[in-house]
Amino acid sequence: MGSMFRSEEVALVQLFLPTAAAYTCVSRLGELGLVEFRDLNASVSAFQRRFVVDVRRCEELEKTFTFLQEEVRRAGLVLPPPEGRLPAPPPRDLLRIQEETERLAQELRDVRGNQQALRAQLHQLQLHAAVLGQGHGPQLAAAHTDGTSERMPLLQAPGGPHQDLRVNFVAGAVEPHKAPALERLLWRACRGFLIASFRELEQPLEHPVTGEPAMWMTFLISYWGEQIGQKIRKITDCFHCHVFPFLEQEEARRGALRQLQQQSQELQEVLGETERFLSQVLGRVLQLLPPGQVQVHKMKAVYLALNQCSVSTTHKCLIAEAWCSVRDLPALQEALRDSSTEEGVSAVAHRIPCRDMPPTLIRTNRFTASFQGIVDAYGVGRYQEVNPAPYTIITFPFLFAVMFGDVGHGLLMFLFALAMVLAENQPAVKAAQNEIWQTFFRGRYLLLLMGLFSIYTGFIYNECFSRATSIFPSGWSVAAMANQSGWSDAFLAQHAMLTLDPNVTGVFLGPYPFGIDPVWSLAANHLSFLNSFKMKMSVILGVVHMAFGVVLGIFNHVHFGQRHRLLLETLPELTFLLGLFGYLVFLVIYKWLCVSAASAASAPSILIHFINMFLFSHSPTNRPLYPRQEVVQATLVVLALAMVPILLLGTPLYLLRRHRPHLRRRPAGRQEEDKAGLLDLPDASVNGWSSDEEKAGGLDDEEEAELVPSEVLMHQAIHTIEFCLGCVSNTASYLRLWALSLAHAQLSEVLWAMVMSIGLGLGREVGVAAVVLVPIFAAFAVMTVAILLVMEGLSAFLHALRLHWVEFQNKFYSGTGYKLSPFTFAATDD
Amino acid sequence: MWMLSALPGRGPAHLQRPLLGPASHLGILRPAMTAHSFALPVIIFTTFWGLIGIAGPWFVPKGPNRGVIITMLVATAVCCYLFWLIAILAQLNPLFGPQLKNETIWYVRFLWE
Repeated sequence: MGSMFRSEEVALVQLFLPTAAAYTCVSRLGELGLVEFRDLNASVSAFQRRFVVDVRRCEELEKTFTFLQEEVRRAGLVLPPPEGRLPAPPPRDLLRIQEETERLAQELRDVRGNQQALRAQLHQLQLHAAVLGQGHGPQLAAAHTDGTSERMPLLQAPGGPHQDLRVNFVAGAVEPHKAPALERLLWRACRGFLIASFRELEQPLEHPVTGEPAMWMTFLISYWGEQIGQKIRKITDCFHCHVFPFLEQEEARRGALRQLQQQSQELQEVLGETERFLSQVLGRVLQLLPPGQVQVHKMKAVYLALNQCSVSTTHKCLIAEAWCSVRDLPALQEALRDSSTEEGVSAVAHRIPCRDMPPTLIRTNRFTASFQGIVDAYGVGRYQEVNPAPYTIITFPFLFAVMFGDVGHGLLMFLFALAMVLAENQPAVKAAQNEIWQTFFRGRYLLLLMGLFSIYTGFIYNECFSRATSIFPSGWSVAAMANQSGWSDAFLAQHAMLTLDPNVTGVFLGPYPFGIDPVWSLAANHLSFLNSFKMKMSVILGVVHMAFGVVLGIFNHVHFGQRHRLLLETLPELTFLLGLFGYLVFLVIYKWLCVSAASAASAPSILIHFINMFLFSHSPTNRPLYPRQEVVQATLVVLALAMVPILLLGTPLYLLRRHRPHLRRRPAGRQEEDKAGLLDLPDASVNGWSSDEEKAGGLDDEEEAELVPSEVLMHQAIHTIEFCLGCVSNTASYLRLWALSLAHAQLSEVLWAMVMSIGLGLGREVGVAAVVLVPIFAAFAVMTVAILLVMEGLSAFLHALRLHWVEFQNKFYSGTGYKLSPFTFAATDD
Repeated sequence: MWMLSALPGRGPAHLQRPLLGPASHLGILRPAMTAHSFALPVIIFTTFWGLIGIAGPWFVPKGPNRGVIITMLVATAVCCYLFWLIAILAQLNPLFGPQLKNETIWYVRFLWE
């Protein structure tokens, strides 16, 4: 069979890497992605390993890279993706990269600092200019009309000589949300001795740091008296306002304004130069950063891998242990040879035996990847056990389709998946970041098959958007029934419902050749027929699926050399399953074939027969299906029950008998070794998994190892109970095939009857119907997609998944392995 | 084949004789329906899925995916054939007939002639 049948052979390889060539070899292996390194220094902490200094340097470099990346992002530029193949650079290049990066980072910091300072200065100038330019009309007008240098107070102060009758001004700018508070405080503190006017600027100014436009309120306060002035200054300081000198003479102010404008113009020129220099620096960063990041990342990965190697006693070479697929061994040796001959030394790799369970490797292409993903989501298979994925490629879409069967919905799903498959190589589709779209896109082949099978089961169920089609003429003749039973028009008018009787000649003309007869979609009692059909179908499909699962276990037993399990486990399991539930399937099919309408009134009930079979009782009103039925049933039940002790005790007794000679030979030493073995289990080597191995019955070289009778018996008891009780519950669990297909059919029918049917029946005139149908069809389409395709699709997907994961896989699959995750840079290259 | 005896007892010969029932005064002749045989669909579909599932694997070109493609062909044939077989066997000997509304009977009676 193909390579998906079971895991590829994976071997443990020991690599000898001379120190001079170790870096290049590992870097080459990372490019190829062939091996998974095992950590030989697990007991050493990260800070004590050999290459920790290099790792640290790489990490510092990465920090600088992050800073540069942040600066690039702030400038609104996008880093171009790295181009071409960039292998990990040799260690001596690291210094050069480090120097360059540091220099760029320092320059960038300086330039940024300058730019900030300049912008702050510019902001101040602009604010000053705005304050001066803002006209605070009444006050200035009042100041003007006096003309002379002496100002008269506008209010008479209540008593006391005035020291200073000059009006002074304080001008400044404050943030708008502080302005009311400032105004209130000024008024309360200096009541009567000041006039404050607040005005908002027309245009917002750019904030120097964040670059966002910010509004400012300018204020002009005219006051009398030195103490008032001091109070005002203190208050404005408190509110962190910007205060600027305000000259009284308008010409002086205009002169100051002109000067300010000149200054700000010069400053803007300098700022422009700075920004040009900044963009130059950023351009150099854009060139250096993408390849630099990739290279440093690879270098760090190589050093981390080297840290996992142990040093040989002569300190001349590094020893690494790695898992490698046997098929890739020649490529591995060639890669090592190539990269080490450059340095003039030679690195070698040779296979070593191992007692630990190797990782599982199953190569998939883009079609099989999604199905293998479904299986792996439950659990990665143990090394070399049978992989359920190749069968899942067909049975999963098939069981989904049994629950989803509708030609129209299946066609929509198929077309959607086809569109995705045909467009899969387009870059726009591959680069889409939306997670939900990515989920659907990764499962496009799955959806394709699901849609295809749904079309088939839709034809069998005879449902297309819940409508039946008559590809062949129906097998039921209404006319014959009407003629033979005297159904005149008057008779029909009196009776609202009439049933066709298959016993009347000419009414039933034979089974519909492909699928369910279309007459049932017109019938009021169609559910009675369909329920019976679908329930029996579910049980038949379930028993076949489970029997297939048990049969797959045969391949496991043969491959692992446990042929005794064929006789002691597989045979009893099959007998139990087929003897009881296979017999139920036989009863169903026998009744279909041999009980006709003529004896419909006294037709035997399979359910009663099945119950009586287990209770060893007899119902007189239920006639037997075939002669000597009770004898056959009793035999089958006794046989099935007899299988239970075989299943329970067979394998343990066999294993114990096989090991008893070993046990007798060294009784004392054996006991201690057993105890020591048990104690060693918890802190075994890094990849130890001994308890799992024991449960599965173990490989042959475990014969000398621990075999504890109680554990074996316990495990077998659990397996027996799980299997026997599971047979019953799992068979019933397959009835979800019936339940979900019924739900889908009913939802679809309701949607048609409530939406489309009403729309099609509206209006006698062509025009009215056409206009009304447009929104009605829109509603029908939206609800079909949302409810029937998405919701029902997800539901059927989930239940088909459950049937596979639990009912099918617990017959033969353990899923307790781990995947081979090779040391590769591929993940970092994107 | 003993399975064919499971058909309702009337063979095609009976249908050739015109049936004049109570509605004969309306001039309505016997229904011109052909009986569906059971053997013919069984032979056709068994051959069809048999070709796909048993003969198909021989024609799959050699390549790394040969095993997977053969598995897919066999599994498809088994699943689809079984499903179709269940559907036709369930309708072979119906124990009760469809219950129709009188309106349905009115038009289907003349429509499905």
